[in-house]
Amino acid sequence: MIKTDLVIIGGGAAGLSAALAASDANLNILIIERELILGGILNQCIHNGFGLHMFKEELTGPEYAMRYIDELQHKNIEVLLGTTVIDITKPDDFMLTVTSEKDGYQHITSRSVIIASGCYERTRGAIQIPGERPKGIMPAGSAQRYLNMDGYLVGKNIFILGSGDIGLIMARRMTLEGAKVLGVAEIMPYSNGLTRNIVQCLDDFDIPLFLSHTITDIKGKDVLEKITIQKVNERFEPIEGTEREFEVDTLLLSIGLIPDVTLFDSLKMEKSDITKSAIVNQHLMSSVDGLFICGNALHVHDLVDWVSEEGEKAGKYAKAYILSDEKQSREHLKVNPGAKIRYVVPQLIDYSHLNEPVTLSFRTTEKMIAGTFKVYQNNQVIMTKKAKYIAPAEMENIILQPDDFISFDPITVILEEAL
Amino acid sequence: MYDYVIIGSGIIGSLIARELSKYEVSVLILDKENDIASHQTTANSAIIHSGHDPKENTLKARLCVAGNRLYDELEKELNIPLLRTGAFVVAHDEEEEKALEELYKRAVNNGVQSIHFISQKEILEAEPLLSSSITKALSLPSTKVTYPWEVAISAVSNAIKNGAEFKRNSHVVSIDKINGTYRIYLENGEPINTRNIINASGVSSDHIASMIEDDFPLKITPRRGEYFVLDRKAKDLFKHVIYPIPSKAGKGVLIVPQVHGNVLLGPTSENIDEKDEASTTLIGMKKIRHDLLSLSNQIPYHMIIRTFAGIRASSTYDDFYIQESKINKGFYHVAGIDSPGLTAAPAIAKYLIEDIIRINAPLKKNFDPMREKPIVFHKLSDDMKIKLIQEKPKYGNLVCKCEKITEQEIIDAIHGPVGNDTVKGIKKRARAGSGLCQGGYCEGQVIKIIARETNQPLSHINYYQKDTPILIKETKIHDKN
Amino acid sequence: MKELTCIVCPVGCHLKVDDQLSVSGNKCSRGKVYAIAEMTAPKRMLTTTVKTSFPDIPRLSVKTKDPIPKELIFKIMEELDNVIVTNSVKIGDIIVQNILETHVDVVATKAI
Repeated sequence: MIKTDLVIIGGGAAGLSAALAASDANLNILIIERELILGGILNQCIHNGFGLHMFKEELTGPEYAMRYIDELQHKNIEVLLGTTVIDITKPDDFMLTVTSEKDGYQHITSRSVIIASGCYERTRGAIQIPGERPKGIMPAGSAQRYLNMDGYLVGKNIFILGSGDIGLIMARRMTLEGAKVLGVAEIMPYSNGLTRNIVQCLDDFDIPLFLSHTITDIKGKDVLEKITIQKVNERFEPIEGTEREFEVDTLLLSIGLIPDVTLFDSLKMEKSDITKSAIVNQHLMSSVDGLFICGNALHVHDLVDWVSEEGEKAGKYAKAYILSDEKQSREHLKVNPGAKIRYVVPQLIDYSHLNEPVTLSFRTTEKMIAGTFKVYQNNQVIMTKKAKYIAPAEMENIILQPDDFISFDPITVILEEAL
Repeated sequence: MYDYVIIGSGIIGSLIARELSKYEVSVLILDKENDIASHQTTANSAIIHSGHDPKENTLKARLCVAGNRLYDELEKELNIPLLRTGAFVVAHDEEEEKALEELYKRAVNNGVQSIHFISQKEILEAEPLLSSSITKALSLPSTKVTYPWEVAISAVSNAIKNGAEFKRNSHVVSIDKINGTYRIYLENGEPINTRNIINASGVSSDHIASMIEDDFPLKITPRRGEYFVLDRKAKDLFKHVIYPIPSKAGKGVLIVPQVHGNVLLGPTSENIDEKDEASTTLIGMKKIRHDLLSLSNQIPYHMIIRTFAGIRASSTYDDFYIQESKINKGFYHVAGIDSPGLTAAPAIAKYLIEDIIRINAPLKKNFDPMREKPIVFHKLSDDMKIKLIQEKPKYGNLVCKCEKITEQEIIDAIHGPVGNDTVKGIKKRARAGSGLCQGGYCEGQVIKIIARETNQPLSHINYYQKDTPILIKETKIHDKN
Repeated sequence: MKELTCIVCPVGCHLKVDDQLSVSGNKCSRGKVYAIAEMTAPKRMLTTTVKTSFPDIPRLSVKTKDPIPKELIFKIMEELDNVIVTNSVKIGDIIVQNILETHVDVVATKAI
């Protein structure tokens, strides 16, 4: 039985920065990582665009990860690689059951746990794409891993569903390695990815983007032969007569990421239907005392820099939780998403411990060239922030100082379009 | 020269093989695909029906009821999973309640035991998520649910243990009759000589029959059924198999708890032209949701992890067609086996051998009916887990995080007489890839494990059929093509 | 008149460039530079992988240290196909110096 103060589940961007922020001569910290190396998804993201905010440099995924892994060497943080958490309960302190080939089956007790377990990719079944079920349909991230880490192409003629950044990045990557990408379909009337990626990944290679389109048929008995796309109306229903067929051997799905948190259902932490993850307060603590959560496991991010910042927070507050002796009472006010706001994290603010700035992270429901974010409390505006080029794909934030609050009543974040 | 060659290793062919392997005869099972049981057996509701539905005095009725009982024996001997769910057939109004009375009478005539009516109150107590528009139900306690391809694979395994042989990738292309015996030609040209042939080839049974006789008395009329699969976290939302009142199209769209915790929703029922058009369709999937409204409006559709379609070998004949060919002695047809085929399968095997073939070979003295209980690692006690990991450390490496499957279980699924070296074959046996992420996380590891264990390069590891490699081309290696 | 989207920063100004290389629609001077470069000598950063001789780590991620001419992308990819890394490397180590006479090095982005 291993006894420790803090367990961090996941050694990717969130877990690494959480560990560094929590590190302390007096604390036993353990990172549990199921792969044989640290770095998480960054290891397969060999493209640029990471670290513009954190390091003021444009780094590739592996370079960004290395910045944190290097720092880890100087701290007294333990790491268990090739180890998977298979169960977690909280009889008193947290009790984790982990397994690995090297050390077998083990139990670990810990006073606090940070969930930094990332996401999994939404599957074909989850959106019920009709058609046959041949080989050749897989999530874009799987194809990315096979290509960048194992060195294999999964197909020669590719179609991609979903224009988020992972789909766009893979369109370019597959093309560079010799495949032909026949098109990208996106159900929304706009792309979810960064404009620079539309240019660098699609335009550069003359790959057509079919906005307001989805896949309505898949043909192929043993291997994929053909897909059909159709235009959709405002209700996202396919429009008859707009069918287009493509002869492909591979369909990559880039249709969304979902926090990988089903393992924690047994702890019965309160969850949000919108983020599909835990409801947290400004300390990134869930409804279970001592259970913190950060990174993509909490809500899906578009920039790893913000994942690292969130991980830092979780680490900092987990440390404070462990080092404080008093049993903490918490009083929460609700943070509500209002007009044109899809969700806000944190969903709660612990006002009995409101002595530091609170960062609200949120996503909007629509695209806008210019707008103003407003925070309301008791029907008064307590904070505004102007922004340009607003899009659901780009997470925004607002920082509230403790004395911005005029009461302990709920607050609401809204977005108003500029005229 | 074999005594018996069985064409088809689905649930029917595999249980026939096992039954035959009890006798002093040589048996060969052929399947055209790259694995045992690749079609109907892997795409159905998995229900062991009670026998309330088939028309009275048919083989379907008789063998369904007999088969239902035989599954208890199979459970003990082959260690197959069997969930004793029971079932409710539900009614919403007077007309449907009348139909329920007819079903009751039919069930009694078919020999179904312990059936009784239950009230709305009892229904909603037992199944709180069912619609309150349900007024009455017929309870069928003998209804069970199994894992059909595991039954087929374990039956073939046991048959092989007792002397039978199995060959995959053996597509039968023609059959000759030579001096009262048969010569079967496979696609690769290889001839197989046999005294008897058992045609258990599912939707292809009329096609196989046509290789040796004209005027086969039935034509297969393929009927497609589409399904949704809910994640196993939906376990315990429904405890019973829920049937609506049946119609001409069939038993209707059902709610079916599965042995590993999943819930199946379906099937639809649609006549199609192509025997292998196992597609799901927008219309079919809409129909599932529409028809289920009368059963429940609390179905967690957001928990769908997969959709699939199966093709039933329905036919122009009104019952199971289990007969010796009228023209060719020693050629036995087991055709038109649609619902309740899975339930009837063990009884079909006995009926074929005892009543149709009337086999006169002696029984083997050393027939061993038992298959060892397979290790499902995550279900074991902590002590057992620690002990097993000490013996085989690869039980410590978790590969499929969604379903908690270890590397050793995957290794065990690759080797042995009924092992398989494809990603889907491993999914059928060890369940890696059956969960929430549908192999997004574990597929790469499964491919690597198969390659290592079978000494093949990564680019040779198939998804399912031959020539379906997932990693089709290693980059930066220049070859001649 | 050519229309293009600037990729220098997340704003993504819609630019118009005429035959005389006169640029409009840019909100800053970097956009002007980008537009002219796009019209005369477009460049891109290239990130990719190269083979290694290590069975556990068959690919090493690399990048061009600076942007390279866009029209050379596929030729550079072909050239990099021939690389096999046989020693351990640090991030930033030069894998190929001055690739295809561009005066740009290809460097490792991972340590192995």
